[in-house]
Amino acid sequence: MATKYESLSPDLVWEAVRNNNAYLVKRKQAGGVQFSRDPLNLVNKHSRKYEGFVNPQAIGIQPDGNTVSLITKTSKQNQPASAYQTSSFSSTTPSRKLYKSVVNSTAKKGYRADLRAQAVARASAVKLSQRETKKGAQEKKLRGSKARKAAAAVKEASS
Amino acid sequence: MTSRPTVTIIGADGTPSNDTHPLPSVFKAPIRLDIVQAVHTGMAKNKRQPYAVSEKAGHQTSAESWGTGRAVARIPRVSGGGTHRAGQAAFGNQCRSGRMFAPTKVWRKWHQKINLGQKRFATSSAIAASSSAALLLARGHRISGIPEVPLVVNSTAFADIKKTQAAVALLKAAGAAADVEKVKSSRKIRAGKGKLRNRRHQQRRGPLVVYDPESDSKDIVRSFRNVPGVETSSVYALNLLQLAPGGHLGRFIIWTSSAFAALDTVYGSTTSPSELKKDYLLPTNVISQPDLTKLINSSEVQSVLRPVKGGAVTKRTVVQKKNPLRNKQVLLRLNPYAAAYSKQGLGHLKVEDGKAKKVDPSFIESLHEN
Repeated sequence: MATKYESLSPDLVWEAVRNNNAYLVKRKQAGGVQFSRDPLNLVNKHSRKYEGFVNPQAIGIQPDGNTVSLITKTSKQNQPASAYQTSSFSSTTPSRKLYKSVVNSTAKKGYRADLRAQAVARASAVKLSQRETKKGAQEKKLRGSKARKAAAAVKEASS
Repeated sequence: MTSRPTVTIIGADGTPSNDTHPLPSVFKAPIRLDIVQAVHTGMAKNKRQPYAVSEKAGHQTSAESWGTGRAVARIPRVSGGGTHRAGQAAFGNQCRSGRMFAPTKVWRKWHQKINLGQKRFATSSAIAASSSAALLLARGHRISGIPEVPLVVNSTAFADIKKTQAAVALLKAAGAAADVEKVKSSRKIRAGKGKLRNRRHQQRRGPLVVYDPESDSKDIVRSFRNVPGVETSSVYALNLLQLAPGGHLGRFIIWTSSAFAALDTVYGSTTSPSELKKDYLLPTNVISQPDLTKLINSSEVQSVLRPVKGGAVTKRTVVQKKNPLRNKQVLLRLNPYAAAYSKQGLGHLKVEDGKAKKVDPSFIESLHEN
């Protein structure tokens, strides 16, 4: 089904959502920083290039329990149920292999080649966050009820 | 040319059926956030009720100024004695128990007239925006489960809905349950005085169910009205306040197939006038191609551009000088032999026999000879 809406384009959508949208986090600190909660935003920054829901192609890398999941967009943008392609990498995947797979399935295929470095960096950061803490190391004191709840959920999922 | 785009009609079980419907022209209306916001600001004001402070507030005293010479300010003061109130300042907006500055009046301009053309433009724009998954996501709707945007559900699926239970089941089948769940969990007690004024709770907006009152049953309204966040609207009376709440485009709309089919009669197209609105043609797009990337990469633009100056690698002019003794790459550029020199380790070689050979004395003699 070739649904094509002439009145809509990523550029127009961006103009409509750049001042306010559900993912945008505006803070007055640091000269008014603007972050994004979009799961398909590799650097969590509110900008035309990185905002995943605006661009027809986008890469998302998220921790999923102790695995790393890679999300990309398919061409079926008006069919939200089948608009995303998800693949996951097990916790035992070596870091270098992970980076290589991420790049091979995205940037190397010409799919958002401009996000290559950011994708690798995020994959690395996610991997680092999933590293088990050393025995005897002091457990980090979590701040805020949301963080504590999230940590409890992760603990429950892994046990 | 591409065929006229069609939208699949979803069955009662949420699976796409073979039925399709051509996309009504209103979905190609230009998306003008500025118009939508301006109309929304005006429309949001039209439900207000007048309020004002009492006409008499702060003036229910016979205060008179004491004049000069009493070493107090010349503000009117309450007369008499025997109570603390006597001698206190009155009337002024700076006074305790005084009148407020510029007391509010019931004859304030509460309502806004909005031009009909603008209202219709904004409505069609908001409907067009509801066909973009990106804008729905930007409004915060949870749409990851729905099979298609715009979501059109067969009217037969709504025909036997008499109870809220059945309505919830249909929403679940259509993939809209996540959005209702979001509304449920968002319910909070309102901050401020609104709690006392029948606005106790705040919650997000869920999907808007649009039906056709002429062919769909009236039970749709009753069965959906107790589902949190779900609103219903007749396709003949679509309201911008529901299509773009807060002036933000991209409301999640669930159309019944007969309502979707009625859109063309309600709004007409850019060339044929609407059957129901007098002298109304849909607004046309100012530009036919809003995609900048496509415009830039089009052969029409690319063919008239001058070629890129220089090659793929351009020489940088102003760069910091690098020290070749510290920077290997710069050293290699100046001295290609340095690679082999360091590889063979010639810099670390010891002199082969331990001591230097003694120079023949006759050589020194001849060297010093004049």
